[in-house]
Amino acid sequence: MIGGLFLYNHKGEVLISRIYRDDIGRNACDAFRVNVIHARQHVRSPVTNIARTSFFHTKRGNIWLCAVTKQNVNAVMVFEFLMKMIEVMQSYFGKINEENIKNNFVLIYELLDEVLDFGYPQKTDTGILKTFITQQGIKTQIETILNGPKTKEETTQITSQVTGQIGWRREGIKYRRNELFLDVLESVNLLMSPQGQVLSAHVAGRVVMKSFLSGMPECKFGMNDKLVLDKGNKATDDLSKNSSGKPSIAIDDCTFHQCVKLSKFESERSISFIPADGEFELMRYRTTKDISLPFRVIPLVRDIARSKMEVKVVVKSNFKPTLLAQKIEIRIPTPLNTSGVQVLCMKGKAKYKASENAIVWKMKRMAGMKESQISAEIELLPTAEKKKWSRPPISMNFEVPFAPSGLKVRYLKVFEPKLNYNDHDVIKWVRYIGKSGLYETRC
Amino acid sequence: MPTVSSRGDAMRGLAVFISDIRNCKSKEAESKRINKELANIRSKFKGDKTLDGYSKKKYVCKLLFIFLLGHDIDFGHMEAVNLLSSNKYTEKQIGYLFISVLVSSNSDLMKLIIQNIKNDISSPKPVHVNLALHCIANIGSAEMSEAFGQEVPKLLVSAHASESVKQSAALCLLRLIRTLPDAMTYAEWASRVIHLLNDQHMGVVTSAASLIHTLSQLSPGDYKGCVSLAVSRLSRIVTSTYTDLQDYTYYFVPAPWLSVKLLRLLQCYPVPEEPAVRGRLVECLETILNKCQEPPKSKKVQHSNSKNAVLFEAINLIIHIDSEPNLLVRACNQLGQFLQHRETNLRYLALESMCLLAGSEFSADAVKKHRETVINALKTERDVSVRQRAVDLLYAMCDKTNSEEIVAEMLAYLKKADYAIREEMVLKVAILSEKYASDYTWYVDTILQLIRVAGDYVSEEVWHRVIQIVINRDDAQGYAAKTVFENLQAPACHENMVKVGGYILGEFGNLIAGDERSSPLVQFNLLHSKFHLCTPSTRALLLSTYIKFINLFPEIKQTIQNVLQNDNQLRNADVELQQRALEYSQLSSITSQDVLATVLEEMPPFPERESSILAKLKKKKPASVQAIEKEEEKMKKSPPSIENHVNVPKEVPANTNSVDLLGLSTPPATPQQSTNSLLVDVFGSVDQPVAPKPESNISKSETAGSVDPEAAQNKSNLLFSRFLFKNSGVLFENNLIQVGVKCEFKEHTGRVGLFFGNKTGNQLQNFSASVSMGADLQGKVNIAPQKEAPTQIDGGAQVQHFVNLECITFFSGSPNLQLRYQHASTPQQVTLKLPVIINKFMEGTNMPAADFFNRWKQLGQPVQETQKIFQANHPIDTEAAKTKLTGFGMSVLINVDPNPDNLVGSGIVKTKTSQIGCLLRLEPNKEAKMYRLTVRSSVGEVAALLCTMLEEHF
Repeated sequence: MIGGLFLYNHKGEVLISRIYRDDIGRNACDAFRVNVIHARQHVRSPVTNIARTSFFHTKRGNIWLCAVTKQNVNAVMVFEFLMKMIEVMQSYFGKINEENIKNNFVLIYELLDEVLDFGYPQKTDTGILKTFITQQGIKTQIETILNGPKTKEETTQITSQVTGQIGWRREGIKYRRNELFLDVLESVNLLMSPQGQVLSAHVAGRVVMKSFLSGMPECKFGMNDKLVLDKGNKATDDLSKNSSGKPSIAIDDCTFHQCVKLSKFESERSISFIPADGEFELMRYRTTKDISLPFRVIPLVRDIARSKMEVKVVVKSNFKPTLLAQKIEIRIPTPLNTSGVQVLCMKGKAKYKASENAIVWKMKRMAGMKESQISAEIELLPTAEKKKWSRPPISMNFEVPFAPSGLKVRYLKVFEPKLNYNDHDVIKWVRYIGKSGLYETRC
Repeated sequence: MPTVSSRGDAMRGLAVFISDIRNCKSKEAESKRINKELANIRSKFKGDKTLDGYSKKKYVCKLLFIFLLGHDIDFGHMEAVNLLSSNKYTEKQIGYLFISVLVSSNSDLMKLIIQNIKNDISSPKPVHVNLALHCIANIGSAEMSEAFGQEVPKLLVSAHASESVKQSAALCLLRLIRTLPDAMTYAEWASRVIHLLNDQHMGVVTSAASLIHTLSQLSPGDYKGCVSLAVSRLSRIVTSTYTDLQDYTYYFVPAPWLSVKLLRLLQCYPVPEEPAVRGRLVECLETILNKCQEPPKSKKVQHSNSKNAVLFEAINLIIHIDSEPNLLVRACNQLGQFLQHRETNLRYLALESMCLLAGSEFSADAVKKHRETVINALKTERDVSVRQRAVDLLYAMCDKTNSEEIVAEMLAYLKKADYAIREEMVLKVAILSEKYASDYTWYVDTILQLIRVAGDYVSEEVWHRVIQIVINRDDAQGYAAKTVFENLQAPACHENMVKVGGYILGEFGNLIAGDERSSPLVQFNLLHSKFHLCTPSTRALLLSTYIKFINLFPEIKQTIQNVLQNDNQLRNADVELQQRALEYSQLSSITSQDVLATVLEEMPPFPERESSILAKLKKKKPASVQAIEKEEEKMKKSPPSIENHVNVPKEVPANTNSVDLLGLSTPPATPQQSTNSLLVDVFGSVDQPVAPKPESNISKSETAGSVDPEAAQNKSNLLFSRFLFKNSGVLFENNLIQVGVKCEFKEHTGRVGLFFGNKTGNQLQNFSASVSMGADLQGKVNIAPQKEAPTQIDGGAQVQHFVNLECITFFSGSPNLQLRYQHASTPQQVTLKLPVIINKFMEGTNMPAADFFNRWKQLGQPVQETQKIFQANHPIDTEAAKTKLTGFGMSVLINVDPNPDNLVGSGIVKTKTSQIGCLLRLEPNKEAKMYRLTVRSSVGEVAALLCTMLEEHF
């Protein structure tokens, strides 16, 4: 189990140190600083073993977050916990940086008391934590005053709720308008050869729900998952899925929020749950098949002379013409001995950024089934050693209003037997956002 | 020198860039800033633009800074080279700096750079010359030394070069010589370089001293003249007061570095011959010693450090001279004061120097006065390295008079000594106690105590050595057995103690068996109680002890046999233990008591050799032993300590495997089930598997069906001829029987062991083996079989037969061995030559060259000499020939013949009636592949015979 937790700034000074178990000494934080933060060689492994003590670290901005243990713990569990901790802190005081941490010492220590007990992870759900760690982050001081202190009644309720069966939702929530928002957020990762062959591609997606529902409603979520649909088809008629008329997708793996009843998912492949109040992540999934790639990058690199080369990049958008992609940014790496660049592009703005050794081409938006082009002339300085340039891939960032995996929300039904509102009264919103992860094309 | 930061040279851009980088919050920000700067510089360096010298310098500076931050720089070299041709000092300086840091020695630009340096070297401005010289030294490649190997010395000795140029030139030359020491000889410059020691400018002298030191190590002859100059320079420095050498006085010490360098330089040469120079040198050294007595002029540590640096170097020189008793004693007294100094470093240095002083005959006694202090240092010193030095010194100052005390102190200290130095201390204690032992009871006590105190650190060599000494010394044996027995009674004793105990009781247990308290059974039970706690190698040793006990004490035979036949032994997982247990139990049950007594005879004394412990210590610490060796040489001159009169064996079996200590190569006659080359197994004892191998290969390939007696005879002749050079091996082999021989010769007597192995599955009946002599041998050699030869050999079995020999007078030829046996009811007969040849009775003698030539001349009569010239049968190889001659019985004399290819040997044939000296000379002619062999002997026949025997074998 986790023996202690440290937060360092970029210089390696300890900001927060919380020790949960006796087997971790005070000098453990020095050991990590010396061997990892100030290491001569950049330490790439997130897990470091120093003197029979394991250090699990992750870096957010300029802040090092490090969990320590002497035992043989489940490393994935520790990292899951560290990520949760970051999430919790972000929801309390926004961006994680040295200043915010220094301003929220008391809050962070209170959080650390709550999320870990003798090194065992406890409640890490932001919604629940916010019910009893009422200290607000410094940034929202005014809000706290507006909300006012909680009544005694509410505080007694917290105990029963946190220890009860449904820990993520308290009873007696009431909304005038029953409303829910569903976001399907996906990030597409791609590696493509210069000839346009897909070397690897996958989509990592999340379904995020924001619910404002009264009482203790039971929800049922349906999507075009192949397994679910096939099962449904089998039950009704034995024809193929064409009968339903909609394409279905194959999900490689998925994880659910704790509110989802896993037993029902196992037996009926149906996703039913009592939602947490407010925003939460309902599920996470990954797909690798039949991904619709929103953009295609076609690079053309030519060495003109010993000290000159020409780069031409064509970008084609590959989705419905009615949709608009946004925040498009294409990054074309330049050789290390570049001494000057002339760029020419029809659309958007392009600039040579010397500090990043790349040409960055930005476009505000681009409609589907369009094509755009940039050409650049790069001047090179002859070098002492003829080192071959490694030609890093061209990368791209964008945002599109559909799910590249093809996932569709089929339904989200809400049942609340005790209060008298039904499915039709609930206002539901669904939104699809596809973003780029590592979207690269070799040149 | 012009200052770097004059106005306009400030390079604001560089300052801004550096402060930008210092302000970066993260690594990423830093590399971004650097990338930006690099792009900027690249765009500036683009071919079509021309930059002025200032901006070039600035950008090159930035590149240098980026490089020093750990980033690769692969451009800008050309710009840096351009800077070299600038006239401004600062621009040139940055250019040279960049080149010495960044340009690799195999760059294409090197030619350009060298050209630029050449220009600068011949420039009239001394600062430019200096920059060029620094660059040459910084690059210091072979190419540089080729290009400037001639230029730099010119500068060094030129009349109008300024002092700073000379100084730089000297150091630059030093660097070039270190890169390519062989390429350059500066003999023609020697006298002028030496005279730099007389230069007015102290800086030039200092750098020249370093240069001359290196040069004089390379070619001492050419620079001999520097000694007197160095002495006079040294005396001038030493006698000057600190106000005389203003810039070169460091904390009131005049020119300490130069003094140290001069003192080191003087250590390269022997003591000057001329009395005047010598007197002056002694005077200098005395002055240095005197100065140490003066009260310090400053309390600063720098003052005392520099003063002591000079002093220690002076003491080193005194030790090097080693002929001024007065100085040596004074140095020793001075060091004695340092022994109790507060500074740890001083104590260390004092002990180290004293170690050297202890080796000198004049100061040895003075060193010994400090024994108490050193012992005290050992006990109270906090620093382990100083303690180590103290141990070294104690070891070095030990002699007959104080050995007991020093050994006792070291033993006492061993208990709490640091682990790192324990093993070394153990070796030292072992050596000292052996070397200075006045009586052996003390020696045995000391070593046993050593094992008790630091058993883990006692190496094999140490306990092997005790056993050797005890075996070679009759008077120590009883005492050793008693003490070992007492020591073993301790409830927990170290395994090494068990080893020593097992061995000594096995050999000499009978000496203490008379006492009730140490009766045979008690001894056995005591050893056996330790058996189960020991490692397999010790157990193996103990098993051998047990079989020896059966021999020594027949009354406990039954008890021991029970132990040997216990399943724990007979079915042990360790093959060695299993085999020993099996063989020993068979040996004890099958053979009679007198066979047992022969097999398990008391070990013969070990031959003398260099102490293996000393060899081990030498391997560990080559330096520290030298002093001891000097000591040892002295010892040999002085009346012999016990070491000499005892005829102490200095031998540990070549192979440290404890198995061999017991001489197990004499095989017990146990039936073995090997089918083919069973004899080979016997001779292939652990330590000499190589020798018999070739025979076994031959035998295997030919065993198929060689019934043809002719072939067998030829083969046996071939095998016989090999015995000219060795004493054991397979003499004869056919598909029925294999005959092995193992001979031992000592002076005019010898013993031949014959091993008959039956290779068939059936019994060989009516077996008989008889040794007969031809008429020519009658009365010259006496032969007496030790026992009757066996009459039959079981299938697959092996029997042995021993024959004793005595050489009465010179003989030629060799006795015959007749074997008769019946196989499958067909009688067979084989006649073999026994490898008893006259050269077996020859012993090599060593003599110096002069003696050899004297004797050679004395044997000048034509009768006494035989000379043969013959074709070489084998490739001419001096080493192989040497080995052959040594095997033949001659000792090969080294450094006698001026031609190293020629071999010269001498030996004495010892017969009962007379001793015949033989001298030999073998001269190869490599072109013609011929040898000329000349043998001279006091008896002409011998010379002729030896010559004939050797002829075919080269």
